[in-house]
Amino acid sequence: MPVLETPPLVHETVVSDRREPFSDIVIIGLYAPKIAREARPGQFVMAVTPSGERVATALGIYEAAGDRISLMLVVVGPRTRELALLERGDRLVLAGPLGNGFQLQALGKNVALIAGGVGLASLLLPAQRLLADGARVHLYYGARTAGALVDAELFEAAGAGVSLATDDGSRGHHGYVTELLAREGRTHETIAACGPSPMLRAVGTLARTLGVRAQVSLEETFACGVGACWGCVVPLERSSAQAPAFPPVAPGETRDYVHARICKEGPVFWSDELRW
Amino acid sequence: MVTKAAEPDISARLGGLRLSVPTLMGSGCYGSGEEYASLVDLAQLGGVVLKSVTRLPRLGNDAPRLVPVASGLLNAIGLQNPGIESYLASDVAKFADRPCAVVGSVAGFSVDDYAFVTERLAARDEIDAIELNISCPNVGAEGETFACDPDLAERATRAARAATAKPLIVKLSPNVTDIAAIARVVEAAGADALAVINTVRGMAIDVDRVKPKLANVSGGLSGAAIRPIAVLAVWEVARAVRIPIVGQGGIETARDALEFVLAGATAVSIGTGNFTDPRVPLAVASGIRTYLAERGIATLAEIVGSANPGFRGAR
Repeated sequence: MPVLETPPLVHETVVSDRREPFSDIVIIGLYAPKIAREARPGQFVMAVTPSGERVATALGIYEAAGDRISLMLVVVGPRTRELALLERGDRLVLAGPLGNGFQLQALGKNVALIAGGVGLASLLLPAQRLLADGARVHLYYGARTAGALVDAELFEAAGAGVSLATDDGSRGHHGYVTELLAREGRTHETIAACGPSPMLRAVGTLARTLGVRAQVSLEETFACGVGACWGCVVPLERSSAQAPAFPPVAPGETRDYVHARICKEGPVFWSDELRW
Repeated sequence: MVTKAAEPDISARLGGLRLSVPTLMGSGCYGSGEEYASLVDLAQLGGVVLKSVTRLPRLGNDAPRLVPVASGLLNAIGLQNPGIESYLASDVAKFADRPCAVVGSVAGFSVDDYAFVTERLAARDEIDAIELNISCPNVGAEGETFACDPDLAERATRAARAATAKPLIVKLSPNVTDIAAIARVVEAAGADALAVINTVRGMAIDVDRVKPKLANVSGGLSGAAIRPIAVLAVWEVARAVRIPIVGQGGIETARDALEFVLAGATAVSIGTGNFTDPRVPLAVASGIRTYLAERGIATLAEIVGSANPGFRGAR
């Protein structure tokens, strides 16, 4: 029965380390050998909230090496607050790795990474892989204030160039991170980005202006995380290679796109194929 | 030497549908089942109620479609589905190897829709039973009308009944004044079982952006927040009809499920609970076994409705 041959993706992991580089930004290291081995850059996990009282939380896989993975989260509500309180030795159930990651080959050999806030978490593995494959990588990283720009040095250590921006001007460019790249003009072959939706929309506009293509990793509330509930959709061109099969719609329907599941067909899409 | 007591029998019967485990996965929450195959051993589930299908393709509502709220989840998916013809051509065959029961879910906008789609879907060998979704709150006024008007509920049920001999489960809405009255007419129209309840209508507003959080404005509330509403609905329906009830609404643990059973549900359905932890259905089944074993009760059927003095169903 083919359906049962898929390896189970539910894992009991154990917290191996925890740090809080800025208030409400927490990085949790986990002993999770199977996920560490299998994770592709840009994939995510669903973290079962320890109390079991809330819907699981989707988090991008930040680091993956040896038997360890890490997750970066910002405390924004009760679910992330619970996760942020985890300590070394605590158990955490994760489902994953899930979703399709970045299409690294299609990004080419000279890539601009654009991160907004903890969107950074989904870009370290792509950066490491691209650099290992001989690409040039430059990180454009924006956050609300200097302290919230965490871990840029990990990208530098991997060999990436780094430019910073803050909303309050406390470090780097005073303003949006996309403005940094816009000012430089077309200095990269492609863009890969992760961050809040308004930033990703701006990335899409910027890419069009610069005449390059951008892969954007969308952040959204997932319920199931595996494509079952159709709760996390985004409008996508029917011609996209990622568009789910869907028949011509009923008479009276004026929308000419399809809905793609961010958790299943994504979370990474080509920005010029999104209709948002 | 002590003889090991036989493991309690937690099977359930819904008309002609026999479930080895009394847990169905709620329609719309579990896709076609295969999406969860990498997270759960589907053989340990009673069955999967498939996502609802309609006569014509539906793109569904615009995003955002989900809003997590206190102890629950608001959704307004809007019955996105490829329509029955495409569904039969490309999707249904995938259910043939499912190691648990497969219940097709039919939604519609007219009595004729319910008859047509039920007949087309139920004709397939891969489908063990039909759930009639007359209670979707997220497709404009017409979607839920069938569950809120006794005459329409009766006509939709009668039409579906005439379209198939397979077990027919009708899913009721909590968004009514008297759910027992609707239950009675649906029973009289030939339903084999009732699913109680669908989601409760609700909404949430983004106070910073000064607008509703769901693109559809209103949605259906599910999760622990609605459990007491659902338990009462099962309690009331169990006093009004003799056909079996599938209890559903916020079940996350075996004790939650047992509340429904003791109120009068023969089986339970788990929807949003799967989003909390995909292992919830397995924990519910094993917890029910433990509960029965600890009390020396041989079968789940014995305790159905046992907290409800007005329970009229057969055990």
